[in-house]
Amino acid sequence: MAVLNRMDWYDLARTTNWTPTYVTEDELFPPLMSGNFGLPQNAWEKYDEPYKQTYPEYVKVQRDKDAGAYSVKAALERSRIFENADPGWKSVMKAHYGAIARGEYAAASAEARMMRFSKAPGMRNMSTLGCLDEVRHGQMQLYFPHEHVSKDRQMDWAFKAYDTNEWGMIAARHFFDDIMMTRDAISVSIMLTFSFETGFTNMQFLGLAADAAEAGDHTFANLISSIQTDESRHAQIGGPALKVLIENGQKAEAQKRVDIAVWGAWKLFSVLTGPIMDYYTPLEHRKQSFKEFMEEWIVAQFERALTDMGLDLPWYWDIFLKDIAETHHGMHMGSYFWRPTVWWNPAAGVTPDERAWLEEKYPGWNDTWGQCWDVIIDNVVDGNMAMAYPETLPYVCNMCQLPILGTPGKKWNVKDYPLEYNGRLYHFGSEVDRWCFEQEPERYAGHLSIVDRFLAGMIQPMDLGGALAYMNLAPGECGDDAHNYAWAEVYRALRATKKAS
Amino acid sequence: MALFPITSNFEGDFVLQLVAVDTENTMDEVAAAAAHHSVGRRVRARPGQILRVRRQGSEECFPRSMKLGEAGLKPTETVEIIWEAPKH
Repeated sequence: MAVLNRMDWYDLARTTNWTPTYVTEDELFPPLMSGNFGLPQNAWEKYDEPYKQTYPEYVKVQRDKDAGAYSVKAALERSRIFENADPGWKSVMKAHYGAIARGEYAAASAEARMMRFSKAPGMRNMSTLGCLDEVRHGQMQLYFPHEHVSKDRQMDWAFKAYDTNEWGMIAARHFFDDIMMTRDAISVSIMLTFSFETGFTNMQFLGLAADAAEAGDHTFANLISSIQTDESRHAQIGGPALKVLIENGQKAEAQKRVDIAVWGAWKLFSVLTGPIMDYYTPLEHRKQSFKEFMEEWIVAQFERALTDMGLDLPWYWDIFLKDIAETHHGMHMGSYFWRPTVWWNPAAGVTPDERAWLEEKYPGWNDTWGQCWDVIIDNVVDGNMAMAYPETLPYVCNMCQLPILGTPGKKWNVKDYPLEYNGRLYHFGSEVDRWCFEQEPERYAGHLSIVDRFLAGMIQPMDLGGALAYMNLAPGECGDDAHNYAWAEVYRALRATKKAS
Repeated sequence: MALFPITSNFEGDFVLQLVAVDTENTMDEVAAAAAHHSVGRRVRARPGQILRVRRQGSEECFPRSMKLGEAGLKPTETVEIIWEAPKH
């Protein structure tokens, strides 16, 4: 029997809307879950997905992808890559798995919302596959790190992190809860797939795949490349939804969701990916600075994606372009200085050679972040370790839940962006974070940041020990310097040379 | 006397920090409490200079002997801790 070509039947087969008679349209597609934006069902039937795939095709391709990634892992299991890897690279893996793996499972639930509640049949089909993608990503990114749990307790955070009140995880959950767990189907398609996945996962997955291959970790490189091929398909779910909204006079609502999600994604990547690229990755393996990578892979591509869609650049684009050269340096210094509160071991990344690289990539680094590092380095070299750790909490933003920071030293520009709302004083890390909150204050107002929780007496005793217990960081899991301060020897030698001369 | 949290924005440092002070503390004592978390950790001491406290965005510092409770600050409000060279 002759088989029809896919395109001869696909559109008809996925035309699965009908006119309900036993229930109303709103009962079939509750607006709160569906997100109809006041548009009737037939407006959503014009949704046309650019990437059409059938279930049998999906299964075949995914089977091949899994076979590839799992066989590379199996082949390299005895290669002792983990044991021999640079400690900075291990930290990259730990940070990535903890922040991402369980979030992938959560994303399966968000895809399932589009699958059930979207009025667009094409979206329902695409997100059925997207949901299966996310389950696969969750499973792989828990299975792959599991072989290392017996060697290194921090690897257990691949599974554990999402259930904890560790500050970075509070930030990650706050963001993902906002863009994908508590939004209607259409908003999920805009905020998760178009804004976060099209805009940013390229960076985490393509950039890291390249770094992993450079570092000789082919298992990790294959794993995340395999994931990225799924991302590049299901990231396209949001585009046609934006098109429907814009054609039906809903551009302002669409733009607002893009603007909120892009900013939140940027802040999360500034703490997760920025330090990895510019500080943790061994100098000889760095291809591009974080800023260069952002400019090539995020800024240029995302600008094109937005304008192709008929959207504007977010109103804060100039602020964003400035921030990509600054914010992640502060996020790195914060996660390094407060290193007992993270589940990986931050690499300082500030040897003289690394500083020369930072100064070349970010002119003025030595006069700004370098000035703070000078003090930290002196304390480490002098063995004055008590001063190389904090004794209080950094103040965190009530929107992104990350430390409120800016440029230090000679260009000191740190600033709080406060807002009083219903008698409570909120603090924000930027004008944009505050703007995001103001778009729907009741959505965010009840959330307590880690500092709010501390002040409310929820963290006891009110000291570092109490904070670590609250964050579920057990002994053996708390972060410390990735290289056990071996880098300080270079500075000791420099001092000795200087003294001798 | 009451414990009072402020947010310290310390000149030359990179991050805001929570600092526990008391409404009876003078502004010099507030500055010293903030300095404990910045100076010698990420900011170099500046011998001969003193530290002043001002509301964020204000050009004018609070009087050094003013008590925190008299400054009209809200709990967790951000104050800037600024280096000041001695006046000759």
